Amino acid sequence: MQASLIVDELRKHGVTHVVGVPDNGARTLFETLWAADDIEVIGVTREGEAYAVASGLYVGGSTPMVIIQNTGFLETGDAFRGTAYNMGLPIVMLMGYRGHQTLVPGAERIDTAASFFEPTLKAWDIPYTLMQQDDEVSDQIAGAFRAASERSLPAAVLLIGTTT
Amino acid sequence: MLDKYSCLKKLADRRGSRDAVITTMSVSMPWGELSDTPLDFASVDSAMGHGADFAYGLALAQPDRRVLCLNGDGSTLMCLGTLVTITGKPAPNFTLIITENGTYEVTGNQPVPGAGTVDFEGMARAAGLQQAYTIDREEDFDAKLDLHFTAPGPAVFVWRIQQADEPVPKPSAPIRQRAHALRDAVIS
Repeated sequence: MQASLIVDELRKHGVTHVVGVPDNGARTLFETLWAADDIEVIGVTREGEAYAVASGLYVGGSTPMVIIQNTGFLETGDAFRGTAYNMGLPIVMLMGYRGHQTLVPGAERIDTAASFFEPTLKAWDIPYTLMQQDDEVSDQIAGAFRAASERSLPAAVLLIGTTT
Repeated sequence: MLDKYSCLKKLADRRGSRDAVITTMSVSMPWGELSDTPLDFASVDSAMGHGADFAYGLALAQPDRRVLCLNGDGSTLMCLGTLVTITGKPAPNFTLIITENGTYEVTGNQPVPGAGTVDFEGMARAAGLQQAYTIDREEDFDAKLDLHFTAPGPAVFVWRIQQADEPVPKPSAPIRQRAHALRDAVIS
């Protein structure tokens, strides 16, 4: 997926800040965001912080987005629950789906970052969609913003593969 | 050692009408008795350790408003990385106050790891925060009170306070309601 398409879509939805931690899949996306002068990138030391910082930004009137990998998402439990979720904030997150390719019958090794991921999203009441091609970028990101807004709760787009 | 209640009273008296104050754990209830405006937010029934990073986000979004966060030492230790995160995009309007009593007060004053040896000011300075001060005498507190509101942020003040016996804080309303009320107050 082209990173520039994703960034253009974030602009359409008025994203002011991206809070997160880069990973291999979103490497180019972060590089594109760092080069942009209209979206601030806030790096955090651990993914749980991303939800707290983003929650503060939203409460302050900004439109933040969280971008992290599924490995980091699994670390965030209490921070996610106690800030963005309990506060009822429509924060959209884009999460890298490490190990998605191992979720096939007969795989030699299943990446637990992948196999734990969607069950955890469901347990934590996070609606999500999958995105892996350029022609899905607009609809999937728009859908997540719509889902977040309708419930005033976080919603996610899962990024399969890498951005270019 | 400082008396927490005396310091909070002086801070509340000095606080400006536009300043937002985020409190956590053993400070939330006594602060609520001193100030209960729409710009006071108790990070209670939330996530321990994430009051300071929440306040930092609020400060970034509200650059024309001072945002102060009163965070316990146990809470600070739960997310030490925040001392580094807040240096990445410094918020000049952000003040972090670490109330250091060496214990988890609201659960019965059990010692926090590193109690009596950890140097919060030193860690803040090592993270790149030049405005970092430890205060353990009332005269020094009085002398630095204004700095809490005027120092170029992110500024860190470590209050070495006496142990007390505050109970588990009780939120005045669900956090969802309180967070949206704070949003309404700051963007109105």
